[in-house]
Amino acid sequence: MTKDNSKGYVAILGWSLNAIEAIDRFDRRYIVVAPEWAEDYCKEHDIPYLPWNFERLNDRSMEIAQRLKEEGVDVAIPLFEETVEWAGAINAVLLDNPRLFGQSILFRDKALMKRRAQLGGIRVGIFEEAHDKGDVIRFLKRVNQTLLKLDGDPNDPIHLKAFDKAGCLGHRVIRTPDEVDTIPDEEFPVLMESHLDGWEFAVEAWVHDGKIRFLNISEYVTLGYSVFVPATPELERYRDAITRQIEKLIKTFDIEFGFIHPEYFVTSDGEMYFGEVAYRPPGFKVFELLERAYGFNAYQGMVLAFDPKTTEEEITAFFPREVVDAKGHAGCFGVYPRRRVVSKLEIPEETEQHEYFESHELTSPLEETVTKRTAFGTHWGLVYFFGDDPHRMRDLLKHQEDLDFYV
Amino acid sequence: MTTNDERSVNVSGSLEKLLDNLDEAVAILARTKDFAKPLKTGRVLTVARRVLMLEGGCAALEQRAPDIEAAGIFNGSDWAFPQILIPSLARHSLQSGTSETVVMEALSELRLLAVAHGTYLHAGISTEQAHHYLTQVLALNLELLFTPPSETERTQQGDLALLTRALYRHLAEGIGYEHVIDQLVDEIWRILQQRPIQVDSVKQMILQIATCRANPEIDLGNSGQGADRLISSLFGTTHGCREDPGLDAYLERLGSMDTAALQYEATGFARAMHDTGLVSPYHTVLLRHLLNHGEHLLAEAMGLSSTGRDCLLCYRELVHAMIDLGVHPQTSQAVYGLALLLERGILYQPPVAPALWRQVALPLSPYSQQRLILAFGNTPAPNARLMEGVLCMLGQPLGVGQGNNPTCQSARALSMWAYNDPDYLLQMVAWATRDDEIIMHFEGQPVSSRENLEGVAKGLPFDLDPVSLLVVPHLDRIYVEMGRRCVGRSEDPHRWINPEFHGWWAGRGFRIAVDVATGKLHQLDDFLRYFYASYHPYFNGNQPLIHPQPAGIAVTDSAARFIGWHAITLLRVSLDPQQVMRMYFYNPNNDSGQDWGDGVVVSTAGNGERFGEASLPFEDFVSRVYIFHYDPLEPGDPTQVETQYVHTVIDKIQRSWGRDRLPETGLQADDGQETVPG
Repeated sequence: MTKDNSKGYVAILGWSLNAIEAIDRFDRRYIVVAPEWAEDYCKEHDIPYLPWNFERLNDRSMEIAQRLKEEGVDVAIPLFEETVEWAGAINAVLLDNPRLFGQSILFRDKALMKRRAQLGGIRVGIFEEAHDKGDVIRFLKRVNQTLLKLDGDPNDPIHLKAFDKAGCLGHRVIRTPDEVDTIPDEEFPVLMESHLDGWEFAVEAWVHDGKIRFLNISEYVTLGYSVFVPATPELERYRDAITRQIEKLIKTFDIEFGFIHPEYFVTSDGEMYFGEVAYRPPGFKVFELLERAYGFNAYQGMVLAFDPKTTEEEITAFFPREVVDAKGHAGCFGVYPRRRVVSKLEIPEETEQHEYFESHELTSPLEETVTKRTAFGTHWGLVYFFGDDPHRMRDLLKHQEDLDFYV
Repeated sequence: MTTNDERSVNVSGSLEKLLDNLDEAVAILARTKDFAKPLKTGRVLTVARRVLMLEGGCAALEQRAPDIEAAGIFNGSDWAFPQILIPSLARHSLQSGTSETVVMEALSELRLLAVAHGTYLHAGISTEQAHHYLTQVLALNLELLFTPPSETERTQQGDLALLTRALYRHLAEGIGYEHVIDQLVDEIWRILQQRPIQVDSVKQMILQIATCRANPEIDLGNSGQGADRLISSLFGTTHGCREDPGLDAYLERLGSMDTAALQYEATGFARAMHDTGLVSPYHTVLLRHLLNHGEHLLAEAMGLSSTGRDCLLCYRELVHAMIDLGVHPQTSQAVYGLALLLERGILYQPPVAPALWRQVALPLSPYSQQRLILAFGNTPAPNARLMEGVLCMLGQPLGVGQGNNPTCQSARALSMWAYNDPDYLLQMVAWATRDDEIIMHFEGQPVSSRENLEGVAKGLPFDLDPVSLLVVPHLDRIYVEMGRRCVGRSEDPHRWINPEFHGWWAGRGFRIAVDVATGKLHQLDDFLRYFYASYHPYFNGNQPLIHPQPAGIAVTDSAARFIGWHAITLLRVSLDPQQVMRMYFYNPNNDSGQDWGDGVVVSTAGNGERFGEASLPFEDFVSRVYIFHYDPLEPGDPTQVETQYVHTVIDKIQRSWGRDRLPETGLQADDGQETVPG
């Protein structure tokens, strides 16, 4: 697409083919900042590219910011958890606003994030940092004491998460002190949280000029397995309450622009609990689902939300109306092999034949033995569905958990 | 059939709704840049699969074929180049358990059907080629037309097996059922008239026809009558194996036959073999059996003329040794190769017989053995396979094919040596297969195939005859290295490579019709006059062509559009039965019968061609030549060539591959453009 030089010039931090494809056909100039292995590919396909290895921030961090500034880039957009603080550091320079770096650190450290939320009057569960196994056992006991459990009552579980990893990576559920022994020492320190009994969901919100421009509610059928958009009417009825929560979040975290992806629990009495928030696209391909359901491209929306040169009219015209403008419901299911030994990929006939089935990105197994999942691991690929009825979609996604894709 | 009913409920959604979905998916794919297309093909394939399952779905996809292809669904795969698709491979795609592969193949075939119908003008493949390809694909998969899915197919493919049947019904209705078998039979005869060395795919097609005819559930009507001879050349060739009794039973029968009965068997097989160029496995059983029954019956079984018989008698032990090593039911074509080798009388050239003795005892390198086993299997042993290959190549020098590889130069060299310098070929075979290295010399410097690992072909080829399989990779590397050593010279490298690569007899005189720097036509008049003066008997003092000469042609498609440069061999020039002066040449392509457009249709039979030769009227041929060699000491007299000839050819060039290569100064013949007739 021909690029409009009067509009912003964005840097994409991290490598995502879906993102590049989408932004390439958008009217903004862009440059992909990615590790050196992407160089040949970018050359071959004429993708504007700047090599950079995103390791921990160090004394060379200014260098990339300067190079992007010289290049004329207006703003940097993070695609992955690991590039969020880089975006913060770079944007602090590009937009001459040092606070952006501090803000990005809040997004990167789950403990800091929760404290900040708490300070802003947002409800969060009980949480604490753990440095060793002893901390975990103490926390488990204390949480259950608080819940007035007697000895012998089944414990409420607690959740352990890495401070700075995306989504489900390194996420464990601990119910008994015995289970603590299974945690490898190298996973510490971790963040511990009490278990919130409720309906977990995620939100994707595009923010520009401090205002929400599009708010999507993603319904998890089973956490780590499946998600679909737009959500069922049962979840959508909380939309107003959710919007208020997000506005609070924006204020608390001082977010002027960009894209956020928070997770919440809503309890049976309608109370919202904040889980965490990320300043990058969700891992579970919700962007692709949104494009399928609404027709707009979520990455392009992100570019608009980040670009300081975006006009009010432009961004208003870009996004459709939530829920009513959706052509249907799009969902995806993450496949984990269910058997210990697998030899080939075999899409279940009932899945492939289903009216809602759309495509999959599964590949044949490389190894026959399936590594035992300790934490919520990484799925082997996604299967996509699209259809009219949100309840049918939900049941269909749930049903996939009982099927073997690898045999 | 309950399962089917359930399915049709599940695969709900009217065709119309699905097509809307498909069109949207195709549009998204179309707007996606190349690098990201793989992300967007999944949805197209899923919807296409559903469309294919519905009544009218195939037609709808055929109609959308140009859009679907333009969207880039085939990008990055072989399907993107329909001209290189091999009919026999379609089967594997269609029987795949992966629905993406099946649907891709289905889309590709429906696209070709659109091309064959003339509704889709394709840049890579003509209407005739598409029709031809589909006929072959249908012929190779006749059972998809006539029989329901087998239990195995059903379990492996589920209702994909029904999808392929729906597809084939649509294809056959589009192409015409009657065409399939009759055209297939015609096609087989046309191929066989060129006497290729590799006949596996032909044999496979014949087997298909035989199976279809034997199946009472398949009604072929009146078609397929011409297949009798083909089928009988492989199965039930003679009285002794009329009902296809199996090799062991046949051997047993031979034991109880008297000389007269054996003679009867021998002539029967020989006649079938020389009729078709195909050898029945039973024939090999007979031949081995006859090793102990005197040379007369052996000669009879190979259908030898007096020349061949003489040769057999002179080199009796060698022939016995070669039969013993190389003739087995799995290597039956060795019989035909051997018969023709004897007929050629090349055993009388002093080095050939000893070189063949070396071949018989040749210890193959482990690498060569492994390659042969990978390509042809374990039985018979690799050295027997290679023996078959050597016999066939020496017997049918013009039957060498390049397979689906860009190695026309190497295939041409092998053919030329087998034709002109057989002991040199045997030397190359020995070096390549025993030592895993060939060293040639280029301008005094050695060029090793082991030190230079890069060839024109990217991977190792597998679709070749045993000799080519092992020797071509070496030749290919040497050819590329010679080219590398010419980098920086301002002229076309073939000027130097061809004589050094092919043999001393390739003329050192060299003419090219194209300016290397600009790609434009260049000194065309001069070029054509030299060609006429060197090769046309009216202008070269009626001198027949002595040695085969390498030449380069500009291949054009049936619309006379330029396709690419290609290597061929000039073999002879003479008047055909209609008193037309023709060039007879060898084309390393697997099928020489090609339509080059503008009325230039290469003939392979019926115009005085010998087996394996292609031919064209002289001026038609010249109009596609762009490189040739000649002997600078025997150049004929270029000034004697009548201007009218030159003009005729220039016109043909301008109407075909020269269309976009006209130099700015125009193409002027010596005596001015204004005298050009018509």
